[in-house]
Amino acid sequence: MVGASEERELERLEKQVEEGGGGVVEYLSLVRKLKVRRSNIVAKHGLQLLNQASARSKLGSDLWTVYEQVAIACMDCHALDSAKKCINALDSKFPDSMRVGRLEGMWYEAKGSWQKAEKVYSNLLSENPSDTVAHKRRIAMAKAQGNMTVAVEGLNKYLETFMADYDAWRELADIYTSLQMYKQAGFCFEELILSQPTNALYHLGYAELLYTMGGIDNLRTARKYYASTIELSGGKNMRALYGVCLCGAAINQARGRGRTEEESQELVSLAASVLVKKYKEKASSKAGLVSSILDKYKQLAVA
Amino acid sequence: MHERELEGEGEASDYLRYPAAMANDLVLDTQIRDWVLAPLSLVMVLIGVLRHFVSKMMRTTPNPDLKAVKEGQIVLRARFLKAGANHIPARAFQMRKAYYNNEESGLLHVPKGQGNNMQAQMLSDPNMAMDMMKKNLSMIIPQTLTFAWVNFFFSGFVAAKIPFPLTQRFRSMLQNGIDLSSVDVSYVSSRSWYFLNLFGLRGLFSLILGEDNAVDDTQRMMQTQMAMQMGGFGSDPAKTLGAEKDGLDLVQHEWVLPKSEQRAESVLRHLLQT
Repeated sequence: MVGASEERELERLEKQVEEGGGGVVEYLSLVRKLKVRRSNIVAKHGLQLLNQASARSKLGSDLWTVYEQVAIACMDCHALDSAKKCINALDSKFPDSMRVGRLEGMWYEAKGSWQKAEKVYSNLLSENPSDTVAHKRRIAMAKAQGNMTVAVEGLNKYLETFMADYDAWRELADIYTSLQMYKQAGFCFEELILSQPTNALYHLGYAELLYTMGGIDNLRTARKYYASTIELSGGKNMRALYGVCLCGAAINQARGRGRTEEESQELVSLAASVLVKKYKEKASSKAGLVSSILDKYKQLAVA
Repeated sequence: MHERELEGEGEASDYLRYPAAMANDLVLDTQIRDWVLAPLSLVMVLIGVLRHFVSKMMRTTPNPDLKAVKEGQIVLRARFLKAGANHIPARAFQMRKAYYNNEESGLLHVPKGQGNNMQAQMLSDPNMAMDMMKKNLSMIIPQTLTFAWVNFFFSGFVAAKIPFPLTQRFRSMLQNGIDLSSVDVSYVSSRSWYFLNLFGLRGLFSLILGEDNAVDDTQRMMQTQMAMQMGGFGSDPAKTLGAEKDGLDLVQHEWVLPKSEQRAESVLRHLLQT
């Protein structure tokens, strides 16, 4: 997570670096620390830094970390030759390192020679089966090739062992959603909610999934999760507000004739009025459009 | 050898002379400083540095056992389930609970007799015993050798004098190796100087070798002991899993979401008012 003050510091340093005012080393270390992805800037200035012998010697023990960082940034920018140079430098310093091995695998990946990359990763894994990065790279490779079933299989196998890796659950949820396997995706979202019960985005994702699945029970649950998203985000999440309105309409339609229990319409109308208010504040030209759409939903919800 | 300490009265200026409260105020020879005190300290520092690098070379990064990793992750996930149970629908919770706690194939179920303890692990994995041996060897051998060396070459010297008086109880600490009850306690024998260096140089090592240097034996020993007590080192994964299972059995599922609609309504009302 990037805090506001760190973000400002990053912007300032980035501007300074872009204008050639120095501070490249500080910028690179801040980028590493915040784990942000500014590949083109890192690659450009990092390479310049690494090409000067005097700057290299000044880096001290950080030199190799910078090499790794610049190599990855270069691969991001498809500057494969420069990346190779960095990797070679690292390889001559640490010949047996797994970390360098991963970089090599990533280089083949960037080049598009999947077989070679696959070979590198499987070698790494046979040496150390608990290397999570190599596992993940393999899955990412399958995804990059568009081979979703292999990616799903790989992720499932990975999660069998590393089942507390919630980024992997998130990825699996996304893939299942893209494959329209909503039930499975729902399971993943439940796991995500368990891991961080106060993260509004997981509640929102689960709600949207349930809404997409449809059916009166799912819709009711979806509305509850939209409501909890509103609660957790303090009503600032627009998608959740829209979701509540849509759920209200959909539940009413799905209920159809068998009107057994009275649904509370309070939430729907409140959400609608908050939406209109927000639009009036932020984008007043669209407020009329929004309110007409919402009126339609409201009618559907009440009818 | 004691004659040597007592001789040498002529040269004056750098001798430390203290108010002669005691009758037998010793004057230490500069030769002792040059040939005992300084070399001893220097050698201790050098041995410390050497040991740091040797143990760095001998250290093997242990590859975590996949099964152990998995067990740890299962426990973590079960704890998440216990903590967040009320945030997922009842059906989803029951499904997971059944999956974890199934008597035959549940994740948290450990077949009887499979719980492996420390000894069994040691027997099955010679690497572990090797590792411990290496650690112990790198700790004990240099210490024995340096102690023997100090004993052989430097025994019996009065090597230094500390500039303040001390009570008799410090005699065993500061005058190890010379059995003279008549010498003032503030004189330090060479063997005691060795011990003082052995334990007192830690600060210097952490300064020149970095924080996590290998010289820090005492710290490491403390850590292993702590781990033993906490049950981390020789912990029984079967027990942890069983405890999680029992904990999960006790969880009463009460979905909190139904109330969230009212809470959301109040949030929205608040937004509309402001």
